[in-house]
Amino acid sequence: MKERKIVLLGQPNSGKSTVFNNLTGARQHVGNWPGKTVEKKEGTFVYNDTTYTVADLPGSYSLSANSDEEIVTRDYIASGEAELVCVLADASQLERSLFMLADYAGIHTPTMLVLTMTDVAVQKGKTINISVLEEKLGIPVIAMNATERREYDKLHRSFEKALKSPRYLNADTLFAGYRQTELYNEALALTPKNGMKHYSVEWIAAKLMDGDKVVADMLADKEAVNAFMQKAKNGSLITSDCKFAWIEELLDGAVIRQKSTSEILTKFDRAAIDKKKGKWIAIGIVLAALCGSMLIASPFMGLGFALIPPLSSFVTTLISLVGGPIWLSDLINTSVCMSVGWVVAMVGFVFGVNLVFGYIEQVGYMARVSYVFDNVMNKLGLQGKSVMPLLMSFGCTMGGASGARVLDNWGQKLLTIALAWAVPCGAIFSVIPTLTTAFFGWGSVLVVIFLFALMFLHMFVTAKIFGRKLSPVENRAGLIMELPPYHKPRWKDIIRTTLNNVWGTFKKAFIVVFVIATVFWVISYSFHEGETSLLQKIGEAIEPVTKLFGLSWQSFMAFIASAISKEGVLGVFSVVFTGEGSIIDMATNVTSADAAITEIMAATISKPEGLALIVAVTFNVPCMMAVASTYNETHSLKWTLKIALYYIVSALILSGVTYHITNIFM
Amino acid sequence: MKKLTELSGGQKAKIIAIKGDKRYLTRITAIGLNIGCVVEMLQNVKPTPLLVYGRDTMIALNREESEQIVVEVM
Repeated sequence: MKERKIVLLGQPNSGKSTVFNNLTGARQHVGNWPGKTVEKKEGTFVYNDTTYTVADLPGSYSLSANSDEEIVTRDYIASGEAELVCVLADASQLERSLFMLADYAGIHTPTMLVLTMTDVAVQKGKTINISVLEEKLGIPVIAMNATERREYDKLHRSFEKALKSPRYLNADTLFAGYRQTELYNEALALTPKNGMKHYSVEWIAAKLMDGDKVVADMLADKEAVNAFMQKAKNGSLITSDCKFAWIEELLDGAVIRQKSTSEILTKFDRAAIDKKKGKWIAIGIVLAALCGSMLIASPFMGLGFALIPPLSSFVTTLISLVGGPIWLSDLINTSVCMSVGWVVAMVGFVFGVNLVFGYIEQVGYMARVSYVFDNVMNKLGLQGKSVMPLLMSFGCTMGGASGARVLDNWGQKLLTIALAWAVPCGAIFSVIPTLTTAFFGWGSVLVVIFLFALMFLHMFVTAKIFGRKLSPVENRAGLIMELPPYHKPRWKDIIRTTLNNVWGTFKKAFIVVFVIATVFWVISYSFHEGETSLLQKIGEAIEPVTKLFGLSWQSFMAFIASAISKEGVLGVFSVVFTGEGSIIDMATNVTSADAAITEIMAATISKPEGLALIVAVTFNVPCMMAVASTYNETHSLKWTLKIALYYIVSALILSGVTYHITNIFM
Repeated sequence: MKKLTELSGGQKAKIIAIKGDKRYLTRITAIGLNIGCVVEMLQNVKPTPLLVYGRDTMIALNREESEQIVVEVM
């Protein structure tokens, strides 16, 4: 079978991700560019006995050197690795959207142009004459509604044709425009005669005018280049003039407007962008999304947990039939049966969140959220839309982590997830009140307020610590963003994309939960009747140390368990105090806790120790599913472990400080 | 002559000058706002970013940097 390579290039909201997802479906591989905090997405599809690899480059408005994303993008294109560059533009806003094509012009690679959002263009009363564009540009041009499945046959055929007889973009009139300016001719004199790699002299000279440092560093005559860069401070104003003039000329005769634009801001939009109302609408939508996700998740939860008992008894019977030891069936029950059940249960929630967020994004509402929350989230080094996953985390951290997918910048996505871990989730809300009431009675209200104050402090400090690397101050730039027109959602498209994502999550989550559960099982298992587990031995041995953080060995067990799941904390207490049952079963909340456990705890643990425990549990790693989904979203084991370690250490520090301060007063 | 940030909602204006460093100039022009471009102010309420309409597009702009855009009211 033949193999061909295509790369997609387009501005944000040009429909690039939609095209990529529809082309490649579940056959995607997402990773990071080596040594860069930039996502690398590749996928494949087969058409007429040829395997096509499609690379989806990060979205940016131009090919300048303002961010790692842009540099990665143009380096990849200029490397010539892809045999065809497919430029995408929004048909409803061609005048602006074709800027990417104008900025790309001069890179010598086979090219084709795809105009998306034809449905919106029709709504706006615009008709586009493709053949006029084709003739002027000298490359194949097609128009399609990227959410419409049946339009892809047309795209496949164009790919095939464009690869068979490669065509290059004709931008002579653009270059002629450049040549009218003196500055451009000076820049030309500095560039090597034959260009560099796939960059033509025209492209290099135009980038020099833009003050592009990366391009400048590639040139030989450093002194002259530096002098030119000093002189050409406003060069990009000139090049942009030429580019927009070229686009205007291009569209002349190619785009026909039938009716004048209707009202720009709809009634809903007026509210959605309002300083106050807009925020409440966004919060309301997240809450609705949360409830919607729960609703979607509940059958999965039922199924997942119902799966465990029959699976377990099957394994136990099977192993006793072949005469295997009991510990083996216990191990398989925990590491495989329990993990499968758990992951099925939890993946339902991820499915719900992805579905709802996918909908909000495809409709075009997410950009409004980004707009109204820009000021607030900026203080944490994040974009406005980070607020959505963070709010989602009040329901479920895993939902927050997978909702962070809406962030187009990898560093910001990771930072958002790191902060989302500090947001107390639904499970914490189910455990903490029980604990606080046991220890503090009516004072528990104060404890909960204290926990929220700690949350804000935690997020602020975490944003500072992780922000330095993930959202460096020098890379932060003021908001310049388009609010795309509302777009009719295609449920089929959203569901298909979501299912693909969820399958990926399922696989990764299972591996992570399997590994953690197995390790935990080994250290917490009593191989002989009455024998204390390794975990308990370690806990007792290091009690002098954990006491510094206000945690007795029993509390420390509960602390460890709270990194597996928050629901299991009470159950683990019940095991360590009564000596009955299995820690791992309790930690994963498969068996319910002894009802009297809170009374036992209140009687044996002092109040300062109790408060320390509550703090430690609340700010520990949320649960192993959160770890799994973080790993799945960031595809970085290193960063996932870094964040997990940071949370364990900071939870201990917080509990230690809490313990020692409250010890003075109580 | 006015700064873009001084336009009130509903006012239309033509961009006549953009100041700022190279990075800002490439970013602002890449989204479609260059000299000569006509914009309509949709919302100018502190502290939320500006919201303008230009080149068939709704564009959100941070206030601080938008001080550098000079316009002529039409």
